[in-house]
Amino acid sequence: MTKLLKTMTLAAALMGGTAAVAQDVPRIGAAVYGLNAEFMQLWAAALEQHPAVVDGVVEVTVFDGRYDALVQQEQFETMITQGFDAIIFVPIDIEAGATAVQAAHDAGIPVVGSNTRVNSDLLLSYVGSNDVQSGYMEAKYVLDQIGCEGGVVIIEGPIGQSAQIERLEGNQQALAECPNVTVLEQQTANWSRAEAQTLMENWLTRHGDNIKGVIGQNDEMALGAIEAIRGAGLNVNDFAIAGIDGVTDALMAVKNGDMASILQDGSAQAQGALDVAIKAVMPDYEPMSAIWEQYPDMPWNGGTDAQYNVPWTPVTTENVDALLEMRQ
Amino acid sequence: MNTNADTQDFKARAADYGQRYGILIALVLVCAALALANEFFLTQRNIINVLRQASINGILAIGMTFVILTRGIDLSVGSVVALAGVVSASLATTSATAGVAGAPYAFYIALSLGILVGMVAGWVNGVLVAYFNVPSFVTTLGMLSAARGLTLLYTGGRPVPSLTDEYRYIGTGDLFGIPMPIVLFAAVFVVALVVLTSTRFGRHVYAAGGNPHAARVSGINVKRVRMAVYIISGALAGLAGMILAARTGSALPQAGIAYELDAIAAVVIGGTSLSGGVGRVTGTLIGALLISVVNNGLDLMGVESYYQQVIKGMLIVAAVMLDQARHKHA
Repeated sequence: MTKLLKTMTLAAALMGGTAAVAQDVPRIGAAVYGLNAEFMQLWAAALEQHPAVVDGVVEVTVFDGRYDALVQQEQFETMITQGFDAIIFVPIDIEAGATAVQAAHDAGIPVVGSNTRVNSDLLLSYVGSNDVQSGYMEAKYVLDQIGCEGGVVIIEGPIGQSAQIERLEGNQQALAECPNVTVLEQQTANWSRAEAQTLMENWLTRHGDNIKGVIGQNDEMALGAIEAIRGAGLNVNDFAIAGIDGVTDALMAVKNGDMASILQDGSAQAQGALDVAIKAVMPDYEPMSAIWEQYPDMPWNGGTDAQYNVPWTPVTTENVDALLEMRQ
Repeated sequence: MNTNADTQDFKARAADYGQRYGILIALVLVCAALALANEFFLTQRNIINVLRQASINGILAIGMTFVILTRGIDLSVGSVVALAGVVSASLATTSATAGVAGAPYAFYIALSLGILVGMVAGWVNGVLVAYFNVPSFVTTLGMLSAARGLTLLYTGGRPVPSLTDEYRYIGTGDLFGIPMPIVLFAAVFVVALVVLTSTRFGRHVYAAGGNPHAARVSGINVKRVRMAVYIISGALAGLAGMILAARTGSALPQAGIAYELDAIAAVVIGGTSLSGGVGRVTGTLIGALLISVVNNGLDLMGVESYYQQVIKGMLIVAAVMLDQARHKHA
C-alpha cells in the first residue's frame, strides 16, 4: 500500500514536473500553405534555426497545409484545442484564411501573418515583402536592359493569387514609364517551369526576335523561358530576362549571366514573424534574430508594428556567390 | 439486289474507315484550320515544337494504352515521372548537396536507374492488381500518393539542379537534327506498335482485355500479362520523367502533377476503349498529337490558356461520343 502510494506520488510529481516545464516554454504553431516547394522549405528551416528555438526559449511546430484552405483551418482548430500560445500563418488563400484567423482570435490566440496575405484585420502583425515592389523592380530591370523600347512578354502566376495580382501591378507601373514598349503576350504558366517553357516556345514561333525581354513573375517560369530560348537555338544573352524569389537554380543562372533575380528573403520573413509572435506572448522579450541588424530599413519598434516589410535584395554577380554559399 | 449489297458493303467499309481514320481526319482538319488561321503554324520550327511538346505526354500515353487495353488504368504515372526524375537526376548532378555520394555518375547509369525506378513502381502496381485483385483504380491511386510522398522525402522538397550535359542530351540534344524527345517518342511508338500488332505478347494483351475468361481458358497467363503492362507503363513514366528533367535542366519534385489525366485523354481521344480489348497505339499517337496541336495553336493565336482546358475537355467527351455512336451503328 505504502509502496503504491509512493509510486503514485512520484508519478504525480513527475507529471507535475513535466507539465510545469511545458508551461514554462511558450508553444508557437506555424501554419504554412504547403511544404512541397523550395521556397517554403527554406522558410520553415529558418524558423527552426531561429536562436529562440535553438536556445529553447520557445517551442515551434510547423503544420503543412498541403495547399488546401480547409486543411489549414482544421490545423488552426487543432492548435486552439492544444492551447498553443501564438500562431504564425502563411495562408494558401487570401479570403479563406480569414475564418481561421477569426477562430484563433476568438480563442484569444494572437496570429502573426507571414509571406502571403490574408484578408483579415484581426492579424496582430504581418511580416512579409511587398510584391508590388518586386514586380516593379524586375520589370524595371528588363526595361532598362532593352533601353525602354521593343517587345516584352509577361509570364504570370496563377491568376487571382495575391502574389500574381501584386507583382502584375508592379510590372505595369514599370511598363507605364516606357510607352514605347509593347507587351506582346501575357499569360499564366502557374509558377511552373515546364508550362512556361511550352508557352515561350510557342511565343518564339509567333513573334521571333521581336521578343526582347521576358518578365517572369517567379524564377521557375523565367528559367523555363531560358530553356525554351536555348531549345530554339537562340542566344540567351540577346534577351533581358528577370524572375523573382531567388531559388537556387535562379542564383546559378544569375551567376551564368542568363537572367536577373530578386531575392525574397523567406528566412527573414519567418524569423521576423517569430520574434513578433514571441513578443506577443512574453512582454519582456527582445528580438533574438540577426535580421533586425541585417535590415536597418525595417526597424523593430518594440515588435508592435502592424506591418513589417522585409526588403527585396536584387541578386547580382557580386552577391550571388555569398547567397549560394548560404544555401549549402 | 446487286446495288443494295454494294451500298451495304460501302456503308460497312465507310464505318470501318471512320473508325480507323476518324481521329486522323479530325487531326488533319484541325491542322488545316490552324494553318489558315496562323501563318506560323506550318513552319518547320513550329512543327518541331508541337512534336516535342507532345513527346512526354505521348510516351506516357503509349504506356497507358497497354494498361487500358487490359481493362486497367494507371493513375500513378505523373508521380512516377517525378520520382524517377529526381532519383536518376541525383545520380547525374554536379551539385554537391542535391546529389548522391559519388555523383555525377555516367549518364547511362543514371538513365538506367530512372527506368528501374519506374519499373519497380509499375511492378508493385502490377502485383497488387494481378495477384491480389485490388482494382487498378485504387492501386494506382495509392501509388500516385505514395510515389509523390517518396519524391518529396527523397528531395526534401527541393529541386535537383545542375545535371550533366550528357544526361541533358535526352532532353535538349538532337539526332540528325531531330530533337531527342521526338526521337525517343518515335522509337517508343515503333516498338509499341510492333509489340502490339506482331507479337504473341501483343495478342495476349488484347485477349486478356477483351475477354479475360476466354483468354485464361485458351491457356494465356492473364495475371502475368496484366502485371507486365503496369511494368511497361512504369518504365515509360520513368523515361518521360528523365526527359522532362533533362529538358527543364532540373528534376523538380512537383513535376508531372496531373500528367496522368493528359495521358488518359490521349488514349481515349485515340479511340481505345476503357472497357478493354479494343484500341490501337496509332490512335494514341494521333490523340497525343491532337492535344498538343490544339494547345500550340491556341497559344499561337494568343487565346488564354484557360480556354485550352475547356476545349480539351470537350474534345475528350466528343471523341468518346463519336466512338460510341460508331459502335451502335456497327
